[in-house]
Amino acid sequence: MSGSVKEAPGQAESLFLELHKKFIKDTPPSGGLRPLAEAALKRFETLGFPHRKHEMYTFVGTQDLVAQPFTLSGGDPTPDGDFLRSQILPGCEKSVVVLVDGRYRADLSDTSALAGDLAIVHLAEALADSDLQKYFKQVVDEENDVFAALNAAFLTEGVQLALKQKAAPEAPLQILCVSSGSAAGPVLNQPRVLIQVGPLAEVKLITSFCGERPNYFVNATMDILVEEGGQVACSQVQRDALDAWNFCKTRISLASDSRCFSVGAYYGSRLVRHHCDARLKAPGAEFALNAVSVLGGQEQAHQFVRIHHEAPHTTSHQLFKNIVDGKGRTSVDGTVIVCAGAQLTHSDQLINNLMLSDEARVDNKPNLMIFADDVKCTHGATVGQVDPDQMFYLKTRGLSEKTAKELLTKSFAESVIDTVRFPALAAELKRSLLKKLEA
Amino acid sequence: MLEIKDLHAGFDGAEILQGISLSVKAGEVHAIMGPNGSGKSTLAKVLAGHPSYEATAGGVMYGGRNLLDMDAEQRALEGIFLGFQYPVEIPGVNNAEFLRMAYNAKRVHNGEDELDPLDFDEILNEKMSWLGMEVKYKNRSLNDGFSGGEKKKNEILQMAILQPKLAVLDETDSGLDIDALRVVAGGVNKLRSPDNALILITHYQRLLEYIQPDFVHVLSRGKIVKSGEKGLALELEAMGYDWLTTTNA
Ligand SMILES: Nc1ncnc2c1ncn2[C@@H]1O[C@H](COP(=O)(O)OP(=O)(O)O)[C@@H](O)[C@H]1O
Ligand SMILES: [Mg+2]
Repeated sequence: MSGSVKEAPGQAESLFLELHKKFIKDTPPSGGLRPLAEAALKRFETLGFPHRKHEMYTFVGTQDLVAQPFTLSGGDPTPDGDFLRSQILPGCEKSVVVLVDGRYRADLSDTSALAGDLAIVHLAEALADSDLQKYFKQVVDEENDVFAALNAAFLTEGVQLALKQKAAPEAPLQILCVSSGSAAGPVLNQPRVLIQVGPLAEVKLITSFCGERPNYFVNATMDILVEEGGQVACSQVQRDALDAWNFCKTRISLASDSRCFSVGAYYGSRLVRHHCDARLKAPGAEFALNAVSVLGGQEQAHQFVRIHHEAPHTTSHQLFKNIVDGKGRTSVDGTVIVCAGAQLTHSDQLINNLMLSDEARVDNKPNLMIFADDVKCTHGATVGQVDPDQMFYLKTRGLSEKTAKELLTKSFAESVIDTVRFPALAAELKRSLLKKLEA
Repeated sequence: MLEIKDLHAGFDGAEILQGISLSVKAGEVHAIMGPNGSGKSTLAKVLAGHPSYEATAGGVMYGGRNLLDMDAEQRALEGIFLGFQYPVEIPGVNNAEFLRMAYNAKRVHNGEDELDPLDFDEILNEKMSWLGMEVKYKNRSLNDGFSGGEKKKNEILQMAILQPKLAVLDETDSGLDIDALRVVAGGVNKLRSPDNALILITHYQRLLEYIQPDFVHVLSRGKIVKSGEKGLALELEAMGYDWLTTTNA
């Protein structure tokens, strides 16, 4: 640790420390979770909330968020049945794990299609495994993102989803994170999900965030650990209430010859930030991250990505497509780190932004940190408007201004949606996410 | 059908067309020839309604209506087609779907029902076979990564689908080898009728061997400096365009 003198907690931190006291009193974390939560609280205090120029929050203003008088969601609110059913993707009816306000709800989940392939374990029990305990301890001690530390400090209800060795279920597993929101005042909920993909398993995952009512901050952490030769196709869909805050940190750890192919889709809300931290730990590991966001009004969605190539012969791909209208804001802050010795690394990153209004704001910060010499890494970023030559071309074929613009903006986003590996989700995104582009 | 009278037009204050008059009747084929930079494409874009170009004087009547009052979409729906010298690449927009959208936009404009994908596919297949286009071009992105010749064929395919009253083909021949030129010209000839008209913009006489023009006009520095019948094209070929630059200088 640096020798800087620790300052007294600021007002914002104090609010959350108060909240934490209440949490410890009302819902004390059990067993092995307790020391982790305590270590995380220390981490939280050390890190503190980001000041305006914080390097991890350059484009994401959190002042408004941390000044909110949050309460912790209490009780076990059960979402409306129709609402819940509407959030389950076709094909996932029997392979869905439901979390409501961060709590795993066996009564609302149905994983019968994954019987034999999937084990669902409470995190407190999962920590009996010493390797896992070590992993969690290290993650907490090294945590650099204050909101992820905050999540861990309130660790009580995490769930482990373990996919067995060589499991190759047909059905994708949907992890549905419902925030129930509140009429009374802003509520904080903090899902914590650990996904373990066994050796040579081949699985499909969809994480979806949704809100039944407004007024919440969902602050999630996901860990995806893929063992040797495991393959994961995953999607993350963020579709929250308009006034919600959604922060999520996803840590991905890839063993040798394992692969994770992920696609994110962001509808935006008051403030959305996804922090992806991927570690390619052994030769043959491959990671791809594509993301699309369609924002308008005052919506924001931000990406903060760190990909660590820790071993030779590893590959990563990134493609971001953002469309921003109105006063929407987006940013991609993405660094690829090629560690010493990680020779023959391949990495590419492309960020494309389409701005539909003068008041929209787009920030990009692509970066490469390379400590090996025999590597092939590229990155690029573009910001543009709808191309007037393309518009003219389409109009000379009799398409209206509106139709031509929709065709061009939709096709821009579709190039990412078309990489979603679940046809039902791709269709849903084309229907609903792209609907935002219809005037 | 089309009556251009003393048209002055350009963009950003630069006057490129400096008084063009041209009358095109149904059933006619007019060729416009001239050196590079003489304003041929500018004329084509002004006729198609490119928003960056502005007519500063003169006028254009089309089918009894003031063409310059209509935007590009309306002009297309009323039967004007521009075959681009440089067709625009539009990644992500499926070629066949785009063609169907354009076709149906026109049907709706004419008060007809939209055609469903299967019925449209039959029409598309027929027109593609005229042009010797492989089926794979249906599912490619619009012009995206097409070779020069493929792009030009795709322009004529659009013309065949949209059946315009007045087609303005801007250097459709450039980028085509002789076999492709023959196929494309054959396609264009199939579309000719006493009810529609054609303006062929070309730099070379070669195209006019396959599509016989009724009139040939020579454009130089934004003006039509000579008009005649199809023999003029051969004369031009023999003379080259140098005489224009010298006499006009
Ligand atoms: N988009 C443009 N930007 C700048 N100059 C242009 C543009 N389009 C045309 N011009 C100019 O206008 C003149 C006529 O061009 P153009 O109509 O393309 O000629 P042609 O098709 O006969 O070769 C030329 O001097 C050219 O440089
Ligand atoms: Mg030209």
